[in-house]
Amino acid sequence: MKNMSKFSVALLACTAIAPPVLAQDDKIIVGFATAESGFMQAYDKPAQDAAMIRIGEINAAGGLLGKQIEVVNADTKTDRAEGAKAGLSVIDAGADLVVVSCDYDFGAPAALAAEGAGLPSFFLCAESIKAGIQGVGPNSFSASVLAAVQGATMAEWSFTKKNARSYYRLLDTWTEYNKGICDGFDYMLPKLEGASLVGEDTFKNEDASIAAQITRIKSLPAEPDAIMLCTMMPGAVSAIKQIRAAGINSMILNGSGVDGSYWLSAVPDLSNFYVPVQGSIYGDDPNPAVTAFNAKYKEVTGGDPSTQYVYPGYVMIDVWAKAVERAGTTETAAVVAELEKMTAEATLFGPRTFSGELHHQNSAMYLIVETENGKPAVVDNWTISAPIPVADLMK
Amino acid sequence: MAARTPASAARRTIATPVILALILLGLALLAVGSGSRPFNQTMIDIFLRVVLAVGLYIFVGNSGVMSFGHIGFTCLGAYAAAWLTMPPMMKQTLLPGLPGWLMETQLPYWAGAVIAACWAAGWAALFGKILMRLSGIAASIATFAMLAMINTVYSNWETVTGATSSVVGIPIIRSIWPYLIAAVVAVFIAWGHAISRAGLALRAARDEPTAAAASGIDIARQRLIAFVISGAVMGMGGALFAHSIGVVTPDTFYLTLTFTTLSMLVVGGIGSLSGAVLGVVILSGLIQGLRWLEAGVSIGATTFAIPNGLQEITLGIVMIVILAHRPAGIMANSELNWRRARPEIPDDVPGNMPTNKE
Repeated sequence: MKNMSKFSVALLACTAIAPPVLAQDDKIIVGFATAESGFMQAYDKPAQDAAMIRIGEINAAGGLLGKQIEVVNADTKTDRAEGAKAGLSVIDAGADLVVVSCDYDFGAPAALAAEGAGLPSFFLCAESIKAGIQGVGPNSFSASVLAAVQGATMAEWSFTKKNARSYYRLLDTWTEYNKGICDGFDYMLPKLEGASLVGEDTFKNEDASIAAQITRIKSLPAEPDAIMLCTMMPGAVSAIKQIRAAGINSMILNGSGVDGSYWLSAVPDLSNFYVPVQGSIYGDDPNPAVTAFNAKYKEVTGGDPSTQYVYPGYVMIDVWAKAVERAGTTETAAVVAELEKMTAEATLFGPRTFSGELHHQNSAMYLIVETENGKPAVVDNWTISAPIPVADLMK
Repeated sequence: MAARTPASAARRTIATPVILALILLGLALLAVGSGSRPFNQTMIDIFLRVVLAVGLYIFVGNSGVMSFGHIGFTCLGAYAAAWLTMPPMMKQTLLPGLPGWLMETQLPYWAGAVIAACWAAGWAALFGKILMRLSGIAASIATFAMLAMINTVYSNWETVTGATSSVVGIPIIRSIWPYLIAAVVAVFIAWGHAISRAGLALRAARDEPTAAAASGIDIARQRLIAFVISGAVMGMGGALFAHSIGVVTPDTFYLTLTFTTLSMLVVGGIGSLSGAVLGVVILSGLIQGLRWLEAGVSIGATTFAIPNGLQEITLGIVMIVILAHRPAGIMANSELNWRRARPEIPDDVPGNMPTNKE
């Protein structure tokens, strides 16, 4: 028995070999404390690949502040406790920037570790307001756009461009992200004169049937012009399929979470279906640079981007590198200050703004993708008339 | 042979918690000596698992009733710690439904952990009062139902627990010492209970329920005592868990953690305090070793790495092999002692009196 415990102590000692590496002057280190296994990998990997493309571009152009950017990785295993360790290991490896998982819940432990060590952190694509100052601390940022902006964008765009007047709100209460979309919709709707909410309902992502909710929509005196559907994969497909199968032909408005064509075969000939995206994966982005990026992504990873959630990874390195360049250092306070000065900073995927109050986007230019007869294509773009105030986001 | 008094029982068995505490202290010193933050965090994780496995052992090991519900007390402890130690400002935005006095309270982490342990113990007393009348598989299933109830309440009570959203703002403690102290305290509580009158009576009831009852032991009462004590230890573990990563969500304290803790206890030896501690230490050591291999090891010019995911498979195989060779766990029913494998003194246990078996 004693031998066995000695053995385990020796085994533990082995894991302690890696000594802390001090920040080195001849290179800049980006630490990825992201999921390399577990379900979050499906979200983290594509965005991380996009980040690596931007890092490659910067290095090819001579590096940042004349130094090459190096990358260190630690796997969170889609586990919160492992996430904290992964954060600490990239910090020990000398990271100047800590990149954490896409989702707030899974990225927060690593981001908190970075915050504790006084380092800046970036969530790859979290869309909750907590992913930033409000839920981590003053040095934390998110590379994506708040979910509320997606709901608000869809409400205002459909009102203005599609003359929608009567709305039905259908919320899947599973995640913060879903609630965020509907919160943005709720914020925008009263500001649209003549628009009315004719009904609202909730369901759960895992519900096999939403027949009860559909019956209530069908029993309305008139079919609503638009249904604001605040949900995400995998339950979204079943909900959409059931709505259409019941003969409801209203426009369906969504968040970015249902972007991608991988699921469209499950709802054949889907039409009148709208999704806001930061960039188009369908090869028809109005900005040719996005299409060029898609080609490059395919060259590097061997596949096309599957959803728009690839793009925030690229934006993240882009804005951070600009801030470092302007600050002339990777020192946290200076970099954060430069990031907070960014107002409508141009990026490949639209302008980005950070402030001392919000390290997230409460307004953004979105492309509107319409699916007609099962074929998605960009039909318009929209930026909400005014940013959503932070006070409304915190409700 | 020493007279059978509590003091002599303590003297005879004190070596076990002392050896275990020294092993834990050794691990803590190793972590501090390494100076590596992730390794320090790994060790904190191991100490937390020790607290949980020992907490579970107090009830399961002594009563012989399998409990799937103890992680529920960990959940109660973790949220109590969050309520008590978060800054009032954050509570107002994240948990607006808390009563005013709790909203204003902000305690240091150790006071929060003590109150969290009492809070979990209180609920354990309430649940235990009802559940401890059951025995065998019915009791196990009822504890599982308790876990599901706690999880459902905490996953849906939006204004008080934040429902499924992460609760953040809990002060993070990265020093290893509080966790070491908690693990050592848990070990001594478990030892103290095991050698107490209640502990002996409970083990007697585990081995020979009929004889124990005939000797005047109120089995339900003895089980309840162990249930409450183990609930308190689990609650303390939950509070420290919250402080170790600074985030709590209800799904952290559900099936995965339940089965991880149970499997560590089973591999170590369900009826042994030393088994609870060593099961955690050995399995955690193995997990870390395999993770280290997954990340890649440089030997000379080549880097050797095992494929991602092999860690879980290997761990499963190792657990099967251990249990195939030692069905009662690594330690079976024995405890670590200065002298080699000293047999348990049999005449301490009432069940060992000559009985007529038909």
